[in-house]
This record gives sequence, C-alpha cells and structure tokens, in this order.
Amino acid sequence: MRSSDALLTTLSAWSRIINRQRIKSESRSSALMSSCSLRTLIETRIPSAFATYIPPKLRTILTGISEIDSMSGGVPVSGLTEICGMGKTSVLVSLLAHASHEHYCALVDATDTLDTVAAEAAGTDFSRLLWVRCGKTKQKLRPLEQAFKVADMLLQSSGFGLIAVDLGGLAEKLIRNVPISTWFRFSRVVENQPTALVFVEQHPYATSCADLVLRLTSAPAVFSGQILTNFNFKAETIRTREKKTVQPVRDFSIKAQWA
Amino acid sequence: MFACLFVPDFAVQAALLSEPGGTREGLKRSPIAVLDGPLNLLKVIALNDAARNLGIEAGMTKLQVETCGGIFLRKRSADNEVAAQAALLECASTFSPRVESTVSGTVILDLAGTEKLFGSTEKTSCKIAVRARQMGFHLRIAVAANPDAALYAAQGFKGITIVPTGCEAKQLASLRVGILPVTPEHLDVLDSWGIHNFGSFASLPSIALVERLGQEGLRLQKLAQGRVHRPLITAEPAPEFIESFEFDDPVETLESLAFILNRLLQQICSRLASHSLATNELRLRLDLEVRQLRPEIEGEQYKHDWKLPVPTQDKNMLFTLMQLDLERNTFSAPIKKVTVEAVPVRPRAAQGNLFAPPTPEAEKMEIVLARIRGVVGSADSEGVICVGSPKSIDSHKPNAFTVQSFSSASERHSLSAAVPLGALRVFRPALEASVELIGGTPHFVRLWKRHRRVLAASGPWCSSGNWWNKTTAWAREEWDVALKTFEGIEYYRIYLDRIRKQWFVEGVFN
Repeated sequence: MRSSDALLTTLSAWSRIINRQRIKSESRSSALMSSCSLRTLIETRIPSAFATYIPPKLRTILTGISEIDSMSGGVPVSGLTEICGMGKTSVLVSLLAHASHEHYCALVDATDTLDTVAAEAAGTDFSRLLWVRCGKTKQKLRPLEQAFKVADMLLQSSGFGLIAVDLGGLAEKLIRNVPISTWFRFSRVVENQPTALVFVEQHPYATSCADLVLRLTSAPAVFSGQILTNFNFKAETIRTREKKTVQPVRDFSIKAQWA
Repeated sequence: MFACLFVPDFAVQAALLSEPGGTREGLKRSPIAVLDGPLNLLKVIALNDAARNLGIEAGMTKLQVETCGGIFLRKRSADNEVAAQAALLECASTFSPRVESTVSGTVILDLAGTEKLFGSTEKTSCKIAVRARQMGFHLRIAVAANPDAALYAAQGFKGITIVPTGCEAKQLASLRVGILPVTPEHLDVLDSWGIHNFGSFASLPSIALVERLGQEGLRLQKLAQGRVHRPLITAEPAPEFIESFEFDDPVETLESLAFILNRLLQQICSRLASHSLATNELRLRLDLEVRQLRPEIEGEQYKHDWKLPVPTQDKNMLFTLMQLDLERNTFSAPIKKVTVEAVPVRPRAAQGNLFAPPTPEAEKMEIVLARIRGVVGSADSEGVICVGSPKSIDSHKPNAFTVQSFSSASERHSLSAAVPLGALRVFRPALEASVELIGGTPHFVRLWKRHRRVLAASGPWCSSGNWWNKTTAWAREEWDVALKTFEGIEYYRIYLDRIRKQWFVEGVFN
C-alpha cells in the first residue's frame, strides 16, 4: 500500500511537472507570436524602427600619392586630418593640386611658407585656391590664433572642398597649449560639412578628434651625380576612423621639380 | 507731331564746334574737309558746300585735296562727334522731354503737348533753329505726323519743312529713293524699274511689290508713303547712383555713421533695383571736420573703393563690407559728410549647375574675405596682399609671385594633370646663414646658432637678372644641401647673394 501510494504521488508530481512545462511552452510560443506581430505592426508604421544604423561610407579626397591613397583611402571629407612629420609639405602640395581640380580649396598658411613654384608645377589651379598668409602684418592676434580664427571663418562660410591649415612652421610648445576643446570643436563643425579639414603640423595634436593621422618620416634622398633628383619618405597611418587594423609603413618617392 | 533735327555734314560741323569761338566764325564760310583713315591714306569723308564748290568730293585723298589749295583740312575725331551729338540732344531736350538720338547728327523729338509752351509747330521749329544756331549748328528741321516722315523730310529738304498730316506721301514724293534704308541689291532692282523717287515707289501696287521684293519691299514702300508709325526710343541720360548726407553736427561714433550709411545704401540699392541694374563697384567718401588754418584748403577726406567680383543689389552685403572697413580704421577728426556712389552695371545672369561641386557663394565670400583681412591684415610690408589667390610672375627670379584677389566667380584655368613634386617650405624672408666652403663646396652651414655638417651638396646653380637696374638687380648661387641634424638628415636650399655677398637659407625640402 505504501509503495502504491508513493507511486501515485510520484506520478501525480510528474503529471504536474509535465503540465507546467506544457503551459510554459505554450505561453512562450504565444508570447513569441505576440512579439513578432507587434514588431511587424511597428515596422509597418515606422519602417526604420528596427533598422540597424550603418554609418555612411566616408567620401575622400585623394592626395595624388598612390602609396598614401592605397593605405588611407585619401583625406576624409567631413573629417579632420592631421599630416605631420618630414614630407608633409610635399603631401600638402600634392593634395592641393589634386583637390583644386574638383573643389575650391583654401590654404591657411600660418607662417607663409607655400612654395608657389612647386605648387604651380604640381598642377594646382590657383584660380580655385584661396591663400591666407598669416603673420605678415602687425595685428593683435598671433599667427597661430589668426590661423585658427581664419579656419573657423572659412568653415562657417562653406563652399570649400578642402581647407588646409599649415602650422608646420610654428613652435611645438605653442600648439601644445591649444586646448583639446578647440580640436573637438573643429571636428564637430566639419562633421556636418562637405569639407575636408587638414592640419599640417610637426606632430599630431588633435588626439581622438582626428579622423585620420598620417605621420611621415624622411629617408635618404637620391642624388643622381651632382643633382638631387628624388625625395624618399615613409608614411604611416596612426589613426583612421574606419580601419582599425594596423597599417604597414609604406615607402614612397617624390621627384624633385627639375628631375 | 514729331520734329527731326538733321545736321548736314555732321562731321564738319562737329570739327568746327571744337574750334575756338573766333576761329569757328571765320571757318564757317571757308571750304573745309574732314579726313579719316590710316595716316598714309587719309581720305575725305565729309565736306561743306564751300568745299564742294571747289570741286572736292568725298573719297578724294589728302594729296588730291591739297592740290586744290585754299581748303582747311581737319582730322576726324570721334570725341568731337560724341560731344556734338550730346550738344544736339541737349538742344532738343530744351523743347521736349521725349528725344530720340536716331543716328549721329540726327535727333527726333516729340512735340505733342508743347504748343502751349512754344506756340504752333512753325514757331517751335523757328525757336529750335535759333537755339541750334546759338549752339553752333546749322540745322535742317522737319515736322511731320510720324518720326520717319520727319526724318526723310529733314534729310531731303533744306531749312524748315512742315509736312501736313495726311499729305506725307505727296510732300515726300520728290525725295530720292537712295535715302531709304534700302539694300544695294534692292536699289539696283528699283533703278532697273525706273523708280528713282519716293512718289513713283509709293505708287507701285503693293501685292506685286511683295511678290518681287518680299515684306522688306512693302516696309520700304510704307516709309516712302510716310505711313509708318513707331514709338520713339527716347535717349535717357545714364542715371547716377550717388547719395550723400551732411551731418548737422559732425559725428564721432561708428553707430551714428552706420545708421546713415545703411539708409544711403538702401536708397541706392532700391534705385538700382528699379532700373534693373546692380553694382560691382562701390565708392565711399567721408569728409572730415578738420580745423583749417587757411580756409581755401579743402578739408581732409577718407576714400575707399570696393571692387566686387560679381554685380549685386544686396544692401546688407554692401553695408557689411563698409562696416568692416570702417571698424578697422580710426579717423583723426569727426565726420561731417558722407557720400556713397555705386557704379551701375547689368546684373549677373548665372545658370546653376546641379552636378557641379559646391562653390563659395560669391557675394557671401566677399564678406568672409573682408573679415579675414580684418584678422590677418590687407598687405605685407612689400605691398603683396595677404588674402587671395597666388599667381606666378613671369620672371626668372626664383620664388617670384604675387597675390591677386580671390573670386569664386572667376573662370577656371585649363590645367595639366596633378603630379606629386618635392616642395620647399620657403622662409620669408630668407634666413641669414654662414657657410664654410672647402674647395668651393659647402662643408658646414651655421644656421640657428648651430653648426651643421653638409653630407651632400648639389650645385652651384647660378642665376641673375635685372642687371641693368641697380636697385632691383639680383644674382645668386644656389645649392641644395643635405644637413646632419638631431632629427636625422634634412635637405635645405641655400644660396649666396652675390651682390650682398651673404649666404641665405631659402627653405627646407619637406
């Protein structure tokens, strides 16, 4: 009798468990059904409600140096780029030459160092280039402040495809004192504009505000007999917005004007 | 009614008008011929009756005319003719506000409504002739119901001719067909038909005429009949867009000046808009209240001109440009008078392009450039402007460049493909340096108080220019050198100024 009672108790317990499981599965399937219908209902009304945000592919302006373009994809439009190290001026001139064929460009030259002869020989369309020579007259503001203020004005004016700010001739300690909020502000302003903002410096300063940081180093130049014919550089991507993988260092060579 | 003032031998009368009063009176009855053409082949283009009586004809060369003797020769002057035409218009304008400058030496005026002022058409014509004679013209005047009938009557009849309304065809019948605007081909055709005057031409059957000469023939026939009615194309003087304001008490603050400037610009821009015009040149003049020791000397003035790349009617833009300039300047004395002048031009008609890259808006860009000039200055110590587009100068001197004003509305230059090239960071002005030479080659360069060893040198590259002018002469010996520095190897361009005997560093290859 005792054994039959125990068996009955066990059976009833099992039946309860089975019933509970069945109810759970039914309620789960019904809940699943209801959530699917709810989702469908929402999607019919708001199509983008459950869409995954895919950031738009960045438009870029090519620098005209194939090694750099293949490595970085070019200078991002609506982004802040820093080009630093030895060779930055040649890259800047090539970039201006390439960009001026399609866009209006502005060069804010903090120390008035543009080589107009090289720029013209490289193919820059001067009629589409606005050159602002800072620090040439006695003004209240220092060249660095002038350059930043002018860059800000040009960004606000819109219409330029490329705004390059050449700070390469300024002392490092001056630019180090620029608060990070200034770089952050530039990156936020350019984000909503079809403009590539490029800073040319000795070292990168904008940290995470930059969308692309290119560091260049020089390699021994080529002397062909008595004539300096080629300049050799190494390019390295320190920071990009899209590609997280470390890019290898690329060597490239640029001819002298007379070679 | 319309009156036509026709000046026969206009070129001769225009040449006479430029003569001094006494000489002019003496020359009026003398034979005069006006010559035109290349200097080695001057030909007579106009002459007066006295010259015709001597047997001189239009088309004769200067040499042929001079053989006749006793004739005064004058060279044709376009300026004289323009001035004479302006004087003729002025004469006509004193009798009617509606005057047409038809061609050189001919004006037509509308006499409608002038009877109460000047009397009948005969009296008005006489008054016009008197007035013209006072101004130095000998006119033929004709009055008719339509401008073209008056024109042909004035060309065909001497003195004053009144063509009664409805009798135009009869009155003009004796005129030569040649004075109509008829092509040489049509004139030959009419000549072959035996048609030589207006009367015979007017009597031809219209349908047959159209069949042979087309609609142009019919138009010519209507002209010959004096039946063409057209509105006058009145000559209006070019409007001037100048506004000025004189303060009761001279002002010292920009706010007071800006208030008036804004008003003056608004008036100018609304007037420009009403004439369907715009401006691309704006002039500002401020008269300053300066105590003058000698009253005959004029007061001090501030003047500024703006040349805009595109015509505009935008008052706010022009005002901002002026305001930015005035903010940068300080004046030695209060301002007593302000004058603003706009040079009128036709507005810009530009077709937008949906597929073109974004372009800085030309009007907005001018304000941005003015603001940038306020930050960086207008021009450096050498007079080269600080904000604009670079432009290479056609010179052998290295790094010779200038900067011209930037405009987003300018035409794009045709260019070669972009090629990456090694560029120099140019030091402006070039840095002084000392160089040690061994065997004529740079061995050490002392730059920024440090000795740097030359690892490799390329040169010397010698050039010179302007040797004929001591102040602008230059001669240099260039070297491209690789210098050993703390950071590694750097490549510089150094040069020896052979006139100043001084080494300089022009820039660093970067």
